[in-house]
Amino acid sequence: MRAFGGKGVLITIWGTLDLYGRAKAMPDVSWLGYFTVFWVLLAVLAVVFAFLPEARTRARFYYILGLVGLAVFALEAYLFYHAVWAANNAALAAGARRPPLKRYSLSLGAYVSFLYSLFLLMIGRMQLPGGRALLVRWRGVVVPAVSMLLAMVAGAVVVWVLKDVKLPEGAGLLNYYTAKLDLVTYTFQLLFGPLLTASGWFQSLLIATPLIFTGLAVAFGFQAGLFNIGAPGQLTIGAIMTMLVGVHLANAHWFAGLPDGVARAIFLPLSIIAAAAGGALWGAIPGWLKARYGAHEVINTIMMNYIAASIFLFMIASNEYTFFGRWTLHMPFKYPGYEGRSYEVAESARIPLMVNLFGFHQDASGAWTGAMSWSMPLALVALVVTYVLLRRLELGKRLLVALGAAIAGYLVGGFLPGIPMQLSPKLASVRLNGAFIIAAFAVAFYNYYMWRTRDGYELRAVGLAPKAAEYGGVSIAKKTILAMAISGALAGLAATHYVLGGGIDEYRLKQSLPTNVGFDGIAVALLGQNTPIGVFLSALLFGVLLTGGLQLDLQLGISRELVMMLQALIVLFIAAGGFLPRYFTDPILAAQAEEGAKGVI
Amino acid sequence: MGIDSFLSAAFLIPLFQTTLRSTTILLLTALGGMFSERSGVVNIALEGMIIFGALTAAVSAQLLEAPYVAQNPGAHVWWIPWVAVLLAMIVGGFIGWIHAVVSIKYKADQIISGTAINLLAAGFPSLVLAYFYDNTTASKEVVNRLPEWFGFSPLVYLAFALVPITWYVMFKTPWGLRLRSVGEHPEAADTMGINVFRTRYTAVIISGILAGLAGAFLSIGILNQFVRNMSAGQGFIALAALIFGKWHPLGVLGSTLLFGFAKALAIQLGGTDIMPPTVIEAFPFIITMLVLAGFVGTSRPPAAIGKPYEK
Repeated sequence: MRAFGGKGVLITIWGTLDLYGRAKAMPDVSWLGYFTVFWVLLAVLAVVFAFLPEARTRARFYYILGLVGLAVFALEAYLFYHAVWAANNAALAAGARRPPLKRYSLSLGAYVSFLYSLFLLMIGRMQLPGGRALLVRWRGVVVPAVSMLLAMVAGAVVVWVLKDVKLPEGAGLLNYYTAKLDLVTYTFQLLFGPLLTASGWFQSLLIATPLIFTGLAVAFGFQAGLFNIGAPGQLTIGAIMTMLVGVHLANAHWFAGLPDGVARAIFLPLSIIAAAAGGALWGAIPGWLKARYGAHEVINTIMMNYIAASIFLFMIASNEYTFFGRWTLHMPFKYPGYEGRSYEVAESARIPLMVNLFGFHQDASGAWTGAMSWSMPLALVALVVTYVLLRRLELGKRLLVALGAAIAGYLVGGFLPGIPMQLSPKLASVRLNGAFIIAAFAVAFYNYYMWRTRDGYELRAVGLAPKAAEYGGVSIAKKTILAMAISGALAGLAATHYVLGGGIDEYRLKQSLPTNVGFDGIAVALLGQNTPIGVFLSALLFGVLLTGGLQLDLQLGISRELVMMLQALIVLFIAAGGFLPRYFTDPILAAQAEEGAKGVI
Repeated sequence: MGIDSFLSAAFLIPLFQTTLRSTTILLLTALGGMFSERSGVVNIALEGMIIFGALTAAVSAQLLEAPYVAQNPGAHVWWIPWVAVLLAMIVGGFIGWIHAVVSIKYKADQIISGTAINLLAAGFPSLVLAYFYDNTTASKEVVNRLPEWFGFSPLVYLAFALVPITWYVMFKTPWGLRLRSVGEHPEAADTMGINVFRTRYTAVIISGILAGLAGAFLSIGILNQFVRNMSAGQGFIALAALIFGKWHPLGVLGSTLLFGFAKALAIQLGGTDIMPPTVIEAFPFIITMLVLAGFVGTSRPPAAIGKPYEK
């Protein structure tokens, strides 16, 4: 029931599995047996309660069972960590130089009992009238959650099949299966591991940043009834455009005399706009082709992904091309050398790293020191407080005032004395940059535009019922082009993270530009059910999983592609409505089920 | 190299051969896709099915021949590639079945379901390769590839033979009529006693089988191993060829020949200074877009395509 991951020691209800002879110190878990009896008892009681005649009593008993289960789980977790701590202290007291138990965790049994308790609570709610209606009302959460769970089960099966555990001879079948189960558990522990450390969170936000952009891009298309699979191509063209502005315009000799501050004020916004414009162009073309010729946007966006990839290679793979054996084309884009990459982005067009924004700098010894600046936190507080307080004001003005307050907060914060501190090198090495702030603004923009403006309302109308929208005076052709252009612009902005923010380690365009995040955006949008907060959270979730995937590769040798597979399965299962009954997916049936409390179904 | 060398035999013969090979992949895939789309199920998953077929064929052939090759490095065992092809077809059909279950039984958006399968095909092969070969990009090379009869793989002949066969099945048999009626007006077909669900299931599985076959041709017919993302968009081009060919076998033959020729030209001009290869590689995609925008206006898709059937 308790496990130490990888090559380690596994404590189970049928004894300790120390197959590699690694146990130096063992926590005292003699209480494990009692808890096992308790869980069996709980399961039996749960079955017995199902036969109670009255719904209200059933619900009450299930609630009690669930709450007791949660409490016992908490007690177990506490006892376990306490036992580990005690064992470590005992070893230290006995003269060990470092604590012997460094990596330890709860294992499958504990997680299962936790989920089981939650499940009992849910069963309790379902006994009461309106239980199902409640679930259906929350279908925006239930369907993705169930799909996610199913995908994890499928992923577990794949790990079970593909990854063998090597036990010493004569270990026995029971031990073999226990060790394998633990391996699967450990896989997911590693995947979710980044949630436990500050640098893990930072790294996850870093990976999530481009996913937020592409997820928003796909979600934007979905809202207007369009499926934009073209995010990879739009990102690529955005990256090329921002490279042209950030490298070749900003370094152009006639701007050489500009003071640093002025150059930054011109070229940084210009490069960001260029990224958006490039993506918008690449999105608008299939939108126009659909509006004008009725060519389906799915195939066209896919074709344009490949065309963008060709243009990208054409620009950075070589500087000289010969046509028909006669004419030679010379281009200035490729940086000399074997590798295909562009020149470096000018200092003035770079997006600063998050650690810089918070007032930290690397000193000569390589340590990150500085004073934690009040600018960013104050700006955020000012923004939120003004926005909440000015509820009376008209929305547009309210936003403007809030933004003004944020800028004021930033400036005031700049004059306040900061808190001096030193960053751990691990945290400082994460290259989370200002593009994350742009991403946060993009989420806010999506929310504002789609649900607070007339244009957004019309877009959603076109997506839900094109004929009705057209009858109401909306031009579907215009809306299609507009939606594809904005969707493309959002995807193009992801390039700011890679090129201007140094998301691929260097401030330049490289052949390793991971355009696939455009496809990941589909999973992000679907898991987030096309809502702003949902897209943000699911991008963060995938950021965590991909970060954990690195550890998975390092520690267990399971390819990071497992996360890609999970993404694909999530898309598949959400498309199938999580294999849930129809009243979760069909809007009309769902409405009826919600009314079910009043006796329609 | 001057323009005149275009017309030399040294240029034209390989061009012809490469055209037929490139066409074969597109033709097999597009003919399969025709069954699916004619029955009313959009199959954007063709790309993924090709990849799964290619993976299955290469890995199974390599594993089957391993004991023989261990004894004699050049061992030729005639049945190995054929078993590999069969397995690729089975796996392709299985992927088709998944697409069918999700989009027919669970009434998912067919394009999203297909996209999910394509995403799966981008990630899953790496896990399999890591399991068998300890790397995530390519399989070991296969000795027992598909044989060649008179200069071409048997699958090339099969692909072209399938054109009249498909035409006959689709337009001259009762089953073909039922299939088309299910794609045009499922309610009417259902009223006439045709099992809409079973017909669609069969059609989607057939498209998976043929795409798997195309994948096998790609990995052990043209090449001798599986390389990650080796399909490189040919499933999508096949889909475009299907639309361009107006969902008709003869039209599909014409459009796949056009796209196959464009691809062959790209390959043949690759090493020369006539055109940069990156530009040529984009040709088939640009042609596809032009074709979709300009000429498709008159072609009419099956009326019920993309709509899940509600009984």
